[in-house]
Amino acid sequence: MPSEAGPNDAREGRFPGVRPRTTPVRFEAEVHPVVALALVAVGAGVLTWFAAGRSKRLGPPPHGGRQVRTEGERRYRERGTEVTASAAQRLNHASSMLAASVLFDSGLEHYRGQFFNRAMYTPIIASTVTLASSLHGAGDTDPGRSHVRHAVQAMAGVTGLVGFGFHAWNVGKREGGYSWQNLFYGAPIGAPMALTLAGILGVAAEWVRDADPDAPELAGAPAGRTLAVATAGMLLGTTLEAGLLHFRGAFQNPAMFVPVTLPPLAAAILAGAAVAEPGRPHGAAKAGMWAVCAMGVLGVAFHAYGVQRMMGGWGNWRQNMIDGPPLPAPPSFSGLALGGLAALELLEHRRR
Amino acid sequence: MRLSGTGNAADNPRSGTRGDDPMHAPRARHGRAPNVMRMGEWVPMRQHADAEEVDFVIVGTGAGGGTLAARLAEHGFSVVAMDAGPYWRPLEDFASDERHQSKLYWTDERIVDGDNPLQMGSNNSGKAVGGSTVHYAMVALRFRPEWFKSRTLLGYGADWPLDWREMWSYYDQVEDDLKISGPVTYPWGPKRMRYRYRAHELNAAAKVLARGAEAMGIDWTPTPLATVSAPRGDSPPCVYRGFCVVGCSTNAKQSVLVTYLPRALAAGAEIRDLAMVGRIETKDGRATGVHYFREGRWRFQRAKNVVVAGYAIETPRLLLMSANREFPDGLANSSGLVGKNLMVQGNQAVWGDFEEEIRSYKGPPSLAISEHWNYEDRGKDFHGGYCYMSQGPLPTQWGSTQAGSHGLWGEVLVSEMQRYNHVAGLKIVSEYLAQERNRVTLTDETDQYGLPIPRITYSWCDNDRAMNRHGLNFMGQALAAAGGRNVWEQGDDTNHLYGTARMGSDPKTSVVNGDCRSWDIPNLWVCDGSVFPTTGGVNPSLTIQAIALRTADRIKAMARSGYYRDV
Repeated sequence: MPSEAGPNDAREGRFPGVRPRTTPVRFEAEVHPVVALALVAVGAGVLTWFAAGRSKRLGPPPHGGRQVRTEGERRYRERGTEVTASAAQRLNHASSMLAASVLFDSGLEHYRGQFFNRAMYTPIIASTVTLASSLHGAGDTDPGRSHVRHAVQAMAGVTGLVGFGFHAWNVGKREGGYSWQNLFYGAPIGAPMALTLAGILGVAAEWVRDADPDAPELAGAPAGRTLAVATAGMLLGTTLEAGLLHFRGAFQNPAMFVPVTLPPLAAAILAGAAVAEPGRPHGAAKAGMWAVCAMGVLGVAFHAYGVQRMMGGWGNWRQNMIDGPPLPAPPSFSGLALGGLAALELLEHRRR
Repeated sequence: MRLSGTGNAADNPRSGTRGDDPMHAPRARHGRAPNVMRMGEWVPMRQHADAEEVDFVIVGTGAGGGTLAARLAEHGFSVVAMDAGPYWRPLEDFASDERHQSKLYWTDERIVDGDNPLQMGSNNSGKAVGGSTVHYAMVALRFRPEWFKSRTLLGYGADWPLDWREMWSYYDQVEDDLKISGPVTYPWGPKRMRYRYRAHELNAAAKVLARGAEAMGIDWTPTPLATVSAPRGDSPPCVYRGFCVVGCSTNAKQSVLVTYLPRALAAGAEIRDLAMVGRIETKDGRATGVHYFREGRWRFQRAKNVVVAGYAIETPRLLLMSANREFPDGLANSSGLVGKNLMVQGNQAVWGDFEEEIRSYKGPPSLAISEHWNYEDRGKDFHGGYCYMSQGPLPTQWGSTQAGSHGLWGEVLVSEMQRYNHVAGLKIVSEYLAQERNRVTLTDETDQYGLPIPRITYSWCDNDRAMNRHGLNFMGQALAAAGGRNVWEQGDDTNHLYGTARMGSDPKTSVVNGDCRSWDIPNLWVCDGSVFPTTGGVNPSLTIQAIALRTADRIKAMARSGYYRDV
């Protein structure tokens, strides 16, 4: 009997009597790009977390050895005994809140923009590692900086500035240029700065940790004073952003006036505290900061109500979460208020 | 959250009202009217017996009648407002389907003739409670101040018996009542109140207009629109569904149906849907009420005052149909001008296709506008002005434009339709002049109510043609400058209706005075687009509504001063 092998078999790689010993292993999995992005971000965050703990300064302890751990075990979740460590933890609470706000807000908004430009992936990764680094710092009761945390925070600050550049370019290239219309509907010009603010507060946290606990200084001035003024400025900047977007919403709900009135007021009190005598209590400024903090959290509830008022409400959440008022945006105010509280702690505990 | 089979009438047939067929059985009866903002809900409605002499019976509930009904009721008058159309519930009754939604149009039989017969029955007329505001394009523009004194200041048309500054304050009021979404600063005309809501995001078609205007060196702006860009009460912000001109199913559109009429009901007005008024009765030189057809029979509503607000075809038709021994030429017609001076506006367009995807049907159709040629008088070889807007034709409409105005058929039409997503156009709204030969008259034929069918005669004059030429040339250049290819002109379209019961300050040359009160019959009023002696180069709805608000205030003032004994 003639072989069943036809004339074309050899050309197609099939030879009678010859079998490939192994079938090629093909690995296929359907992964939604957004899931992949989330996995990458989480991975980067976890790596940052571990790296942050391994880079405590080696070498001779500064400030009379007070920055060396006295007991064997590193303890988390408590406030450091030194004012510098305690304030640094607060600052890291602040940068955590801001980084989380940026993470979810940029995630939502860039998803809405369908990651049209590859650069739109950046803030998601950047804010995740910033968040990991900030959370790590928030639990660190030790004085003394972590180089990894410091580097990550500085990177966040720069990323935010680059993002600002991208957004400003996006607004300007639209028909009509830098008009109200394009500020409303182009890339939100102020939003990337929130990442910069997270970075600044995170860097400040590391510097404050490193500072002399008896007379902490930042940028050549008493740390509390510098931080209070800086935080007040950041609050005003964020107010401008909220003001622009609430103006776009025509202040249709009277509650929309709160984030453009309360934060500047609290910022003014905070700036007042900066120029007061050191070591004095600042009850009003603290109350102001806590009020802004609460406003940021309540803002999420108001934005959730705003989502409900879109066509279809929460029943159509997949559209309305994206097109309605952004749920993750208001807590950036809370983050800044925590920064203000850190400044006040430094101011109140400053010895003459 | 909507789950089918649960909840209210829209989701669960068992929660519906038995026999609820708004086109055949009235919804506003038994002391309640539909709550148009909530599915399946009702609002209480005060009702009047036919024999009860109400202060005002208003014929028509559109931009003029509906707005007036709300304000008169809020001023404390008893009001019955009738409309020949159904009382729609937009959340439940409106489909994303052009053909189905033609149920919003006034498609009763009409005869058109003249050199340029008008196309009736879609964008220029509505048969619904809320009138054509239910399907209008929501463009909310103010008149140029000079147009109110157009004869004196610009040398054409007629002077209005109204002062622009007073109108400006009523524009403020309408814009607030409708929460117009407009630009932060408006490039033309005197300073105006800031629009209550911010302008909508531009779609690609609007950006084409912007690029064209910038290339031509003229100003442009996002169009002020009567659809909200942020929540307002039960109105959600616009979701850019794009079916605006066949009815908004989300209630983002601030039509009279969802703004003034709920206010009218709350203030005690009665609205009668599916009520076709066929005749106004007079006695001793005064109107005594209206004959109307509802629920299968002719009835008579007594009234101290009758307001006709049926728009520029139905208003003169009703006045002419009501001719009797006392007024053999029709009511309010001693000047002979009822039905004459019918005006429309040019609605020509240029279309072109673009390399990039435009998808012009996304969002409200006219998101960007240039009013340059309304405010610039130099360089024109004609009287009047025009604005032009970006466009977003829906597919069926686009198909019929291609087949009709463009004259394509067969394979050419099919291949052209495949470029639908890449097409953008600019469409004009231009000011045509009044001519007595353009008119509405009655024919011997009768319609389904047994009423005479109107004949609508319309022809352009030389000025109109010169304006068309200028507009098409300019828009064509702008579209090409924005990157449009294969630009072609759609030269035949018109829209908006005016002028058949014009207002003026002389009984010999006008039908009503500045208060919309007829010269001949002191308790007969006209309040709609028919009172316009000139059209201006902008869409009429905002001006009609401003006039209605003013009329209501004037009536209140007259009643308070005792000068006016009827109310």
